[in-house]
Amino acid sequence: MSRSLSQRTPTDWSSPEQVRQRGRRNLGERMFALAGMLAVIAAMACLILLLGSMLYKGIGGIDLKFLTGSDATDAAEAGIWGAAKGSLLTMAVTLGLSFPVGVLTALYLEEYAPKNRWTDIIEVSINNLAAVPSIIFGLLGLAVFLNFMHLPRSAPLVGGITLALMTFPVIVIAGRNAIKAVPPSIRDAALGIGASPVQVVFHHVLPLALPGILTGTIIGMARALGETAPLLMIGMRAFIPTPPNGILDSATVLPVQIFLWSDEIDTAFIERTSAAIIVLLVILLGMNGIAIYLRNRLEKRW
Amino acid sequence: MVIALLGLVAWYLGWQRARSFAPAGGVMNRMPALPSQHASFLMLCTIVPALLVAAAWPSVSSRLVMRSVMMLPAAKNLPASPMDRDSVLSEAAGLADGSIEGAFNPLSYELAKPIAEVSHFYTLTGAVLLVALALVGFAIGYFRLKPSFKARQKVEGVVMLCLMLASLVALITTFGIVASLIFETGRFFTHVSVTEFLFSTHWSPASDVVASENNGFGAVPLFWGTIFIGAIIAMIVAIPIGVMAAIYLTQYAPRSLRAWLKPALEILAGIPTVVYGYFAALTLAPVVRNWALALGMADAPSESALAAGLVMGVMIIPLISSMSDDSIAAVPSAMRDGALALGSTKSETIRKVLIPAALPGIVGGVLLAVSRAIGETMIVVMAAGMAANMTINPFQSVTTVTTQIVQLLTGDQEFDSAKTLSAFALGLVLFIVTFILNVIAIMVVKRYREAYE
Repeated sequence: MSRSLSQRTPTDWSSPEQVRQRGRRNLGERMFALAGMLAVIAAMACLILLLGSMLYKGIGGIDLKFLTGSDATDAAEAGIWGAAKGSLLTMAVTLGLSFPVGVLTALYLEEYAPKNRWTDIIEVSINNLAAVPSIIFGLLGLAVFLNFMHLPRSAPLVGGITLALMTFPVIVIAGRNAIKAVPPSIRDAALGIGASPVQVVFHHVLPLALPGILTGTIIGMARALGETAPLLMIGMRAFIPTPPNGILDSATVLPVQIFLWSDEIDTAFIERTSAAIIVLLVILLGMNGIAIYLRNRLEKRW
Repeated sequence: MVIALLGLVAWYLGWQRARSFAPAGGVMNRMPALPSQHASFLMLCTIVPALLVAAAWPSVSSRLVMRSVMMLPAAKNLPASPMDRDSVLSEAAGLADGSIEGAFNPLSYELAKPIAEVSHFYTLTGAVLLVALALVGFAIGYFRLKPSFKARQKVEGVVMLCLMLASLVALITTFGIVASLIFETGRFFTHVSVTEFLFSTHWSPASDVVASENNGFGAVPLFWGTIFIGAIIAMIVAIPIGVMAAIYLTQYAPRSLRAWLKPALEILAGIPTVVYGYFAALTLAPVVRNWALALGMADAPSESALAAGLVMGVMIIPLISSMSDDSIAAVPSAMRDGALALGSTKSETIRKVLIPAALPGIVGGVLLAVSRAIGETMIVVMAAGMAANMTINPFQSVTTVTTQIVQLLTGDQEFDSAKTLSAFALGLVLFIVTFILNVIAIMVVKRYREAYE
């Protein structure tokens, strides 16, 4: 063994061939790192270009009148309060329905559900619902809520229910991860001093998992707030010159308002559209910021 | 409101009563349940029956109202056909509760007043019934409270029932989607043949359908447009950028840079699609059109597959990047260390060890991304156009399944027309394809995770 090693001609590291090969490898190395950096730069450039172009076109359109007005045929008169209020009402319905259902489902699946075929089916359907195209939920809303149950068209109630169906799988998935992160020792300790399974979950596991669940809920709500396609299906694209007063009135929401304005031929609406986009993005970034803050501050590492 | 109040009162009384069970000096631990559990039991007894009635009452009472209205002398003058009669009655009901100002039919005015009276009567009846039920429930519950009564088990049973019902919502939703899509699609296929829909290449839906003839419901151009934009152009943009960005972020970027870049990518994922669509239509589409003109395409349309596909690719980047990130991070570090110890350089380790090991996870991510892209609506509605072309020229305008669904359903057609129903058939195809992609992706990712655990 040692003889065969010593008999091999040692590599001459300074031979031109070796230098060339090392150079090639080093070059390849640098090119690869560069390609990675370029990919990140490309993605960031898209983000900056997108935000920059919206800011450039729309920042001049934001004033008090724009923020407090409602839709109008004249671009100079058009404002977003009507659509924002519609969004608010719709989100209230969505949150009121999807949060309880999502949290209860997550608790059931994570803490109580027996491992059997039935649970598997529920799990697959939740994972699939989280990835079903949003427009399919719009078709569901149109067929079931409008044509079958005869709920009022264009109303935040119907929009809210439709978006809630879309949002609660997101809450379930986030909630299950948060519940899973609560260590079993907590449950064992509570059970050990005589708490019932329901008390263990509602007095101990749920409060500890709540920050994680809230983070997931905010992210899900932000997604619902930016959603357009399903609401087009159920007719929330009406021209709404006065803000809606309740969840049964005709209403529109911010993203749909953006879509409607983007279709206008009058070029004065370009500024309005971009301004509305800025408002929407500020709200969404705020929500995501709160979610990240919650995640960093409140979530315990066990 | 009333129910909530009654519930609170019941809770308080139950609490008081359970407290009184305890011997003076207050040793509670002989009882199988705490006072608050007795109280909750009593509250549930009070409000659950009342809530059920409150939920069912509006539909019952409106039927009762209509029945008594039909017996009025004025109702004799109602038109005979059920549809006309319903329209008059709904107008009258609208007048009665003040939601509409003026009616189309003079008969409605005549009926409005009796309807208002009758419905007032039934509303009162409902309220009385509700309170009575709550009181009966309260009484039954109240007399069941005893020191030895196992209130906790009862309350927890109700809680478990709620949990199980909540978990069924997902199943019901999935079932609702499948059932409504299949039902409407079935109605569509009574008008138009399946073979025409799936295999014909001519798409221009006719309003008046003639049986056994080609009515322009051939969806192949839509399928092609969807694949062209979502699965080809968008992926050409998103896969290299997404995967390379993930590699850079996990392997090369210093920690401080990574802490900034990851949230920035998440922002890209959080931008609403309508904003991407607006960007594609307003900013990118003219640029793409100029490219096409420069390349010598004389009649370049203002809407193109390329503009929509590029922006959709940008939208997909964060999804692919975060899935690749997760799967690269899941590769055991022993594999990486082994490759480095054998003398591979960093990029060789990544290309020949990490990526092959993480490939199932990355492929799963790409499948999910394709499913997202073909179901994406707003970008293509705003930027891809309406013309059903079968073309491989990215500067041409193409149309997609989702665009046509929006197009077909946002007009003011009759709901029963074949045109409207075809949207549901397109939706069903979309649902099936994305379902298959999602299930495969979920399975691939799950199996891959198990392999390294």
